Amino acid sequence: MEGFRAKLLSGRVLLGVLSVAVVFALYIWVTNQPDNNPALLPPISDIVGSFVTNLTSGSLLTALGASLFRIVMGFIIGTSLALILGCLIGWYKIAEYLFDPLIEAVRPIPPLAYIPIIIIWFGIEEFSRVLIITIACFLVCIVNVIAGMKNVPQVYVDAASTMGASRFEVFRTVAIPAATPFIFTGLRIALAAAWTTLVASELIAAQNGLGFLLQEGRRYFLTDQVMMVIVIIGCCAFTMDRIFRKIQARLMRWSEARE
Amino acid sequence: MSEIVVDNLTHTFGKGTPAALTVLEGINLTFESGSFNSLVGTSGCGKSTLLKMMAGLFSPSDGQMTLDGTEIKGTDRRRGMVFQQDAVFPWMTVSRNISYGPRLRGASKEEQRELEAKWVEMVGLKGFEDRWPRELSGGMRKRVDIGRVYANDPDVLLMDEPFGALDAQTKERMQSDLLATWRQTQKTVIFVTHDLEEAIFLSDKIIVMSARPGRIRHIEEVSLPRPRTDEMRLTDEFISIKRKLWGMLEH
Repeated sequence: MEGFRAKLLSGRVLLGVLSVAVVFALYIWVTNQPDNNPALLPPISDIVGSFVTNLTSGSLLTALGASLFRIVMGFIIGTSLALILGCLIGWYKIAEYLFDPLIEAVRPIPPLAYIPIIIIWFGIEEFSRVLIITIACFLVCIVNVIAGMKNVPQVYVDAASTMGASRFEVFRTVAIPAATPFIFTGLRIALAAAWTTLVASELIAAQNGLGFLLQEGRRYFLTDQVMMVIVIIGCCAFTMDRIFRKIQARLMRWSEARE
Repeated sequence: MSEIVVDNLTHTFGKGTPAALTVLEGINLTFESGSFNSLVGTSGCGKSTLLKMMAGLFSPSDGQMTLDGTEIKGTDRRRGMVFQQDAVFPWMTVSRNISYGPRLRGASKEEQRELEAKWVEMVGLKGFEDRWPRELSGGMRKRVDIGRVYANDPDVLLMDEPFGALDAQTKERMQSDLLATWRQTQKTVIFVTHDLEEAIFLSDKIIVMSARPGRIRHIEEVSLPRPRTDEMRLTDEFISIKRKLWGMLEH
């Protein structure tokens, strides 16, 4: 059984690598065509060259640092608020009646729609960018947290109550652990949302960050730099998601669902 | 002492609305301390509803229930319940599930370990202490459920068709084991089932209910000797009780 699982897993990794390799090979093949315009589709060597240049000049690390800071701040603040408010709304009827219509009304508005008003109110400060990411993380996360609390099986609640648990004890010892699969999904979607809004917020009001490097690449027609940053963002988001899944798998060994 | 008295209880869902449905009517019952009682009846006779009300999960629209003279209001640990569905917490190991109740009321680590060891042994799950519920069979999870309720030391045990989802062999083993545990602790048990044989094998007293609205139709005192053995299921006395009660159930 274990051997089979290991085999399946290695097969899965192999297939994943294969799909990336195919895209890679296609890209190399296309850029090697005689009529390819390297200004539009820069060859891999140029992209790697841009990576090395930006790495040695320190601009890449600075940008990465600035962007990661925004991601982490926006993610932590946004999801923390979502967890607190989502648990209350999902568990306490009063909180639900109070906040649910508001959240349902706000939810369909894309976070990027707030960019103009945020810039008017707070300027193109660091705070504005973090705020946009915070909003994005909050909105996608809270929906999942509420769903998780509402999907707590009634029989667990009844079982805990008949063993003498108070309403708050049921909340603490039953509702929250029962909702963790939903909560983790919410956190992972929030992380993805943080990356998507990050670039958008930096494209508009950027002095540094990965979005700024993209913008700079466009302005000076450095296609290789644009490509390089896209790959970096992909790699960062992928790595963070993987780390998240590892944490989830560790914390949720009880759950049947594999990563 | 832990005697439950149900006094002239009537329950109507949606009382005062056009869709009002009376599920229980004029129920008077006494469950003696330390006795094993079963509520039987076809589906719709309100037996589960009655049990849940005794647990305090909701209140009757009329009449009252008392435990040792105190009115039953809301849930508390004196009345433990085993549910028909799987109620084992999947995020806790077998041991942690069993010590859930004691942990709630702040039992010390040593006391928790002690209770875990005792009840894991009592319900026959030795060696599975650190397993996750998903790694257990349905019957084993039911054992966790029963051990968890017992470890919480309630005065009364309410069981709502706990073995309904198990296969015949597992069910018979569980019944014998439950009786063994009950004999050692002498807690009052109120057991809901639609399985007559199960009721006869387990009980001192069987309450047969009729449906729509749920009323008490007959109370049968079972005088089969204890401890009960599987062979008794085939005795004339057992079968004649079964025949008698079977005729009373609405088919």
